[in-house]
Amino acid sequence: MILRTVNLTKQFGGLIAVDHVNIQVHEGTVHSIIGPNGAGKTTLFNILTGEIPPNDGEVYFQEKRITGLKPYQVAKIRIGRSFQQNSLFKNLSVFENIRLAAHVQHQGRFNFLSDFRSFHSPIDQAHKVLEEMEITSIAGKKVGELSHGAQRTLEVAIALAADPLLVLLDEPTSGMSPEEAIRMVRLIRKLAKQRTMIVIEHNMNLVWSISTVITVLHQGQVIATGSPSEIEKNPEVRKAYLGGAAV
Amino acid sequence: MIENALGKKRALIDKEIFILGGLLLLLPFLLPYKTLPAEIVIYALGAVSFNILLGYTGLLSFGQAAFFGAGAYLTGIFLIHFGWHPALTLVLSGVIGALFAAVIGFLSIRQVGIYFVMLTLAFNQLAFFLAYQWKSVTGGDDGLLNVPRPDFPLFPGLKIPIQGNLQFFLFVWVIFLVAFVIIRRIINSPFGRILLAIRENPNRARAVGYNIIHYELIAFTISGFFTGLAGGLYALFMKMVPINAIELLTSTDFIIMSLLGGTGSLYGPIIGAVVTKIASEILSVLWARWLFVLGVIFVGFVLFMRGGIWGLINASWSKFTTGRPEEGRNP
Repeated sequence: MILRTVNLTKQFGGLIAVDHVNIQVHEGTVHSIIGPNGAGKTTLFNILTGEIPPNDGEVYFQEKRITGLKPYQVAKIRIGRSFQQNSLFKNLSVFENIRLAAHVQHQGRFNFLSDFRSFHSPIDQAHKVLEEMEITSIAGKKVGELSHGAQRTLEVAIALAADPLLVLLDEPTSGMSPEEAIRMVRLIRKLAKQRTMIVIEHNMNLVWSISTVITVLHQGQVIATGSPSEIEKNPEVRKAYLGGAAV
Repeated sequence: MIENALGKKRALIDKEIFILGGLLLLLPFLLPYKTLPAEIVIYALGAVSFNILLGYTGLLSFGQAAFFGAGAYLTGIFLIHFGWHPALTLVLSGVIGALFAAVIGFLSIRQVGIYFVMLTLAFNQLAFFLAYQWKSVTGGDDGLLNVPRPDFPLFPGLKIPIQGNLQFFLFVWVIFLVAFVIIRRIINSPFGRILLAIRENPNRARAVGYNIIHYELIAFTISGFFTGLAGGLYALFMKMVPINAIELLTSTDFIIMSLLGGTGSLYGPIIGAVVTKIASEILSVLWARWLFVLGVIFVGFVLFMRGGIWGLINASWSKFTTGRPEEGRNP
């Protein structure tokens, strides 16, 4: 097991955004988290990555307790994440966005007397990620010049840059045009084959095609966890989330 | 495309440094004011140091005069009382500037936005009142008088005279260029690039694994070092340390120079220093309320030309060479 949470709870005033959540993510699997808006999915991500502290409960990564680590510490132990709203280095090139994220795992971060271009490992790493995400052709462009779809792709690329052991993707296809979404679905399917991921997504086509396990959140609580076919048949999920309609 | 994205590796000293050095070297021959060129270069060093924070880390520090003043007082006091080698004294000015910056930075950077800015401003005021009150050491309101400007012993037996205006200018010019080469290297180092990431998006920089407080604190310390060095040169230049070296207005001088010249490059603040210093010399003779004119120009740039004078030059240059304006700021 690469990551598990124990009774993770987060309260905002009177609202319990995440309510005693227990999830287990196994190595080499793609674990999707679905649920209606406001179910607590992004809050759960923010707790896992240290953006916000939980009120209660624990997070274990590779059986080490990581509850309360700061975001940069979580990234250092090689958990990469993408954001629901693009969070990029706007005036820098696509390449530099990825290279900077890759440099975290390499030597020379506090070197201020050598040219940054003499550090080859983050550059090589950035090349790999550019190819993996199929954005080599726009490597030299500034983020501000990119379409929304390309920015979303870069958002995911940054999450992958430091070669993480676990990747958290927060709605990678959000706000995309249908054509862009098709491309992203294809990319994520490709990633899903080689990486351990937790994915929040509304695109059911994507969720059903990549997931090993699906967890359904509703009002902060896990109402079901299982394989896609189990989730599909689960009457409670249908009632709460799918409105009773067939998937 | 990828080569394009990264740019070429920079030699420590290249064409740009020669052009910069050459242009600055023209100042004493073009300007009718004999002491102004050295003053311009000293302020340029302060502005470039400030821009490490604003332009390259995204931190607006109002505390620069505290580092500048600390450096100036240190050089003044050491030369008056101990008569140390001026080179050592100047390095110590940098060190005290760095020390002040490390402390003020440490206490300020945990706050963000306006709270951070107000803290740096408050600490600058604190430093000012310390200097103002501590008359026995700093001379208080009257300033620290009679700072000697000894000949500069380069080797045993070889002393470079820096008494004359041109001699002193050349002395400052050399130190400025050395400092500039180092600062430019820092900006182009892995560390400098991470500062850019923090400027662009501190939250994402943190999320990808950088402890941004550490980087900001080091940036502060580096900026403090070079600002302190500029302060030391200022004490030698004035042959005294006026109380306004540590006053908040000196901080705002550096800010105005950087914004006017353009914070997107290392050259912007230098241009800003040249323009504001020359403008103030000329305008102050013509009209007593010359600061008003400078203010209007400044507001104009902040409102309509965020890239500053350097941005303007850059845009016109690329329009001239490629037929289309350059987009955005430095890569």
